[in-house]
Amino acid sequence: MTLAETLTYLPYGKYAFYIWLSYGVTFLVIAELFVRTSRNHKKVLVVLTNKYAREDD
Amino acid sequence: MWKWIQKLASPKVFYETINRLIPWFLWLFIGLILLGLYWGLAVAPVDYQQGESYRIMYIHVPSAWLSMLVYFIMAVAGGIGLIWQIKMAQVIAKVSAPIGASFTLIALATGAIWGKPMWGTWWVWDARLTSELILLFLYLAYISLNNAFDNPKTAAKASSILAIVGLVNLPIIHYSVKWWNTLHQGSILEDISKPSVHPDMLWPLLIMVFAFQFLYALLLLLNAKDEVLVREQNSRWVRELVTGEQA
Repeated sequence: MTLAETLTYLPYGKYAFYIWLSYGVTFLVIAELFVRTSRNHKKVLVVLTNKYAREDD
Repeated sequence: MWKWIQKLASPKVFYETINRLIPWFLWLFIGLILLGLYWGLAVAPVDYQQGESYRIMYIHVPSAWLSMLVYFIMAVAGGIGLIWQIKMAQVIAKVSAPIGASFTLIALATGAIWGKPMWGTWWVWDARLTSELILLFLYLAYISLNNAFDNPKTAAKASSILAIVGLVNLPIIHYSVKWWNTLHQGSILEDISKPSVHPDMLWPLLIMVFAFQFLYALLLLLNAKDEVLVREQNSRWVRELVTGEQA
């Protein structure tokens, strides 16, 4: 039995595997964009704070 | 209008405008995506040919659409940056690329996942699919070219030219389903006045298209903010912003 056949008890029956997989992949890709954005934001603040601190010395 | 655009070219005004717009885009995105998902996944009826599987379209179509729109915006902003040396246009072009590449990836992945039960295969070397894959490679080439230079000015120049040359791919993607005999179905939004699908299926699709557009706008602005700070790190206002309030 394939994975697609095992998951038919979920909503959308015989297409459940494909629908949930595609929505899952989409969610992950978009979540990754937000994570990368937030990481970059923190990095920029650290780099600039250090730079200004160095200049003030 | 022109005065307003000129003002927006100033990094500080650009940054402040972005800051004001972000909450609006965030709430519009959240509202529309919840409505679109509920309507598309729970309310919309089952398709008589494709069964439930057509529901993948609610993410496939908006992301495929955006993959092209973002590329267009990236190339135009790059061109504006090239011609008038407007730094903020270069910022928009640069931060758009990873977002556009992600939407292209979503379009390709969801298309493949839908293709397996409907066409019997994950992938075919069909005109629509191949041209969309080329779009992904164009994004990746743009990103690596942009990262290949230390000087942001040179990077913007080189990558913008690449983006503009790559524009030729957009009409190829759009018309591929008409010019060639492809496996990919034609557009259902060809003529909005006489749509080929039931309103209860069409409305969630339109809502999802708008939701994804606000998602792009939101990510664009969030990334543009940081890019502006880096590029303008030697101006006084950035210094005051970073050292004064840790926002």
